[in-house]
Amino acid sequence: MLSFVLRRLGQSAVLVLIMSVLVFVGMYVISDPVAVLAGDDFTPEDMAVLARELGVDRPLIVQYVTFLGNMVQGDFGTSFVYNKPVLPLIIERLPATLEVAFLAIGLGLVLGVPLGIYSGLNRKKASTKSISFATTVGYSIPNFWQALLLIMVFAVWLKVLPASGRGETTMLFGIGVSFLNLDGLSHMILPATNLAIYKICLQTRLARSGTQEVMFQDFMTYARAKGLPRPRLLRRHLLRNILIPIVTITGLELGGLIAFSTVTETVFNWPGIGKLLLDSIHNADRPVVVAYLILIVVMFVVINFLVDVAYALLDPRIRYT
Amino acid sequence: MKKTIAALVAAAALTGAAQAETLRMAYSTAPRSIDPYPFGGATTASLKEHVFEALVGHDDQPLLASGWTWDSPTSLTVNLREGITFHNGAPLTARDVVYSSCRMMFKVNDKRNLLTSSMGPIADVVAVDDLTVRFEMKNPYPLWVQKMKFLSILSASGGDVPDGPIKYDDAGDCGITAYPSRDDFENGEAAVGTGPYKHVSWTKEKAVLTRNDAYWGEAAKWDGLEISAVTNSGARMAGLLAGDYDLIENPTTEDITALDSNDAFDFTGKPAWRTMFVVLNVSPDGAPGVEAADGSAPLSDLRVRQALSLAINRDAIVDRLFGGNASVANQFAPAYRVGAPEMPALEYDPERAKALLAEAGYPDGFKMVFNAPNDRYPNGTRVAQALTQYWSRIGIEVELNAQPWSVYAKARRAKEMGVFFYGWGHPQGAAQMISFAFASRDKDLGLGASNYSNYASEAFDTAMQAWAVETDDDKANGFVKDAMVAAMADLPGIPVYYTHSLWAHRADLQVDGRQDERTSAWMVSYK
Repeated sequence: MLSFVLRRLGQSAVLVLIMSVLVFVGMYVISDPVAVLAGDDFTPEDMAVLARELGVDRPLIVQYVTFLGNMVQGDFGTSFVYNKPVLPLIIERLPATLEVAFLAIGLGLVLGVPLGIYSGLNRKKASTKSISFATTVGYSIPNFWQALLLIMVFAVWLKVLPASGRGETTMLFGIGVSFLNLDGLSHMILPATNLAIYKICLQTRLARSGTQEVMFQDFMTYARAKGLPRPRLLRRHLLRNILIPIVTITGLELGGLIAFSTVTETVFNWPGIGKLLLDSIHNADRPVVVAYLILIVVMFVVINFLVDVAYALLDPRIRYT
Repeated sequence: MKKTIAALVAAAALTGAAQAETLRMAYSTAPRSIDPYPFGGATTASLKEHVFEALVGHDDQPLLASGWTWDSPTSLTVNLREGITFHNGAPLTARDVVYSSCRMMFKVNDKRNLLTSSMGPIADVVAVDDLTVRFEMKNPYPLWVQKMKFLSILSASGGDVPDGPIKYDDAGDCGITAYPSRDDFENGEAAVGTGPYKHVSWTKEKAVLTRNDAYWGEAAKWDGLEISAVTNSGARMAGLLAGDYDLIENPTTEDITALDSNDAFDFTGKPAWRTMFVVLNVSPDGAPGVEAADGSAPLSDLRVRQALSLAINRDAIVDRLFGGNASVANQFAPAYRVGAPEMPALEYDPERAKALLAEAGYPDGFKMVFNAPNDRYPNGTRVAQALTQYWSRIGIEVELNAQPWSVYAKARRAKEMGVFFYGWGHPQGAAQMISFAFASRDKDLGLGASNYSNYASEAFDTAMQAWAVETDDDKANGFVKDAMVAAMADLPGIPVYYTHSLWAHRADLQVDGRQDERTSAWMVSYK
């Protein structure tokens, strides 16, 4: 197990390095922070001063080595735009993203898995056919359009939910969260639903195909023949066997939700990190983009690791050496 | 169904009106801070103006100043209004102006504030007496009257300011041990101005302000303000329709046509100062992206530039692409911007354009890359496409290169663009844009700093050099006219249209819009 963890750590360090080089070079080639920050009334001399202050007048390799040196000491740099350390800038926006991502993933699991198992068990029923139809629709609607639809129906026509923004936050361990008060919660529902619809459909389909496959396996026939009560049959023998692909997908989808909910965050004006990434790319704010993507790499590595651990817990045959 | 919805919406708006003396506005970009010194940008400026005021107002009129006199082209004496107090009760004095100038120059993390460039020619700021302050300049700097708008005045009464007079220096040290930090402004401790509203809370998404009951000027109409930032135009409009906001900035021209059928909401447009134009690199050595079969430099020929201008149907652009919510341009600053001259309209005559091209030796046209930002100006990409087509019609082979602003701005700074689309908002008078874009470079007078057109004209330069040192407004405006006439005769750029600012709002509100692309609470009142 230890060697497995160490190997993973080594791999992620390499990933972080590659990522930082790519983003660094990419942002350098594409955009010029001085040109973006400078007002119309900046003279070439003003721009030269600004370039020196931002440190972007130095050769790229020098900038990169300085950045690496600082990163090793835990300093991810200072935002070109906000002139503030980037890490707090990202972290202050993380709770907003995390709570919506977890709500969406949770909805996906809580609704999707039972619906999937139900459709897998009752393949011929009409209700199964409507579930299957609904998932196909939910699966294929573009996220952006679906968000606008949700806003039109629930915020503009019915006026039961706010259209955008985060609303009030409650302090929990020094972090502002929305889910602990009514106003905050009402603001969360639409963005979370927008993210959840796809996840629900995905989980339903995964659970259904898993169920159909497992139900006809010999050990299930044997378990049924042995006269096991149905709840136990479903929980111990069916659920455990279909969970592995579901856990894998959930892990990946969670990472995706946290890192790249940019469309939903933009349409709902949700102040999360996806929106920060987009704004930072627009503003050529390289330190924020680099730090953000490095954090995302680390997060994916951690999630994948947790998924692997979950495998071992779910399936005793899996061992890591 | 539609009627029921309209009725519901109207009812909701009415119940809202009964209780709401708080105005909820949605800006189109997020103000970067409420610290008034580090950042430019329309929404940052819009927000700070509610809390902080400057010596000069956005309308170029005295605000905290009662007036000023030029002792010489390098020395301006400003008299302050009597009886103005800050939110903390301290009276406004010349010492506060010196302190604010020092805070402007002070570097945070060794970085200059982005607004500091305006202060470049300022050598000294002297408190002559309590209500008189004198600005000394390194070079003649009449534009300082306009630039003073950007110097927000902050109270010097904080705990870490030493007693007695403050000595200005351009490193911002001024003998002051510690200035309020950006966090101090953002949490409200240091957000102490003279403005009609006071700071309550600030985050990047939402600023909450409350009325300053002790305001020296006309009392604020609203008890409180909630200023949200909603960058996506669809989300902004949805928030308005859903009743989350009372007024939003910059709805799209498509969205406002949809408002016509909605009784609960309305929109207001106002011609803005921003001029949209095409810059042409007229260098005889040729321009990047512009190629003629014979290797010559087509844009250096006046007839070609005239042809490019004649090819554009400005009326069609304004009517079709903006639904009338833009105005046809005939010079580089609208005549309604104080200081800009009256100029004749520009013609649309594609036949003559073709003839001029042939006369100039390009009967079969030439190749030209036209650069435009695709995420900067409302309908900007569509206008760029229209221009591309107009020029194609007179036989020029135009390739449109529409890019995100961050990429485009880099290419502009690197002088990699021979022909590009640009806009200038003219916050500092009618002549600043031409003085930057078309004058020959003169560092001392601040001329020609962004002359990407490589235009050099003696008549134009003479007028601009005279303007740059002229402290008499009428005379200065005369020079502006001379320069504008020269530029319009030579066309180092081609004006296309003036933008309009748009606001969508509840139908029971009335908006008296501003022309400088900012949005403030005093524009808005009940009908």
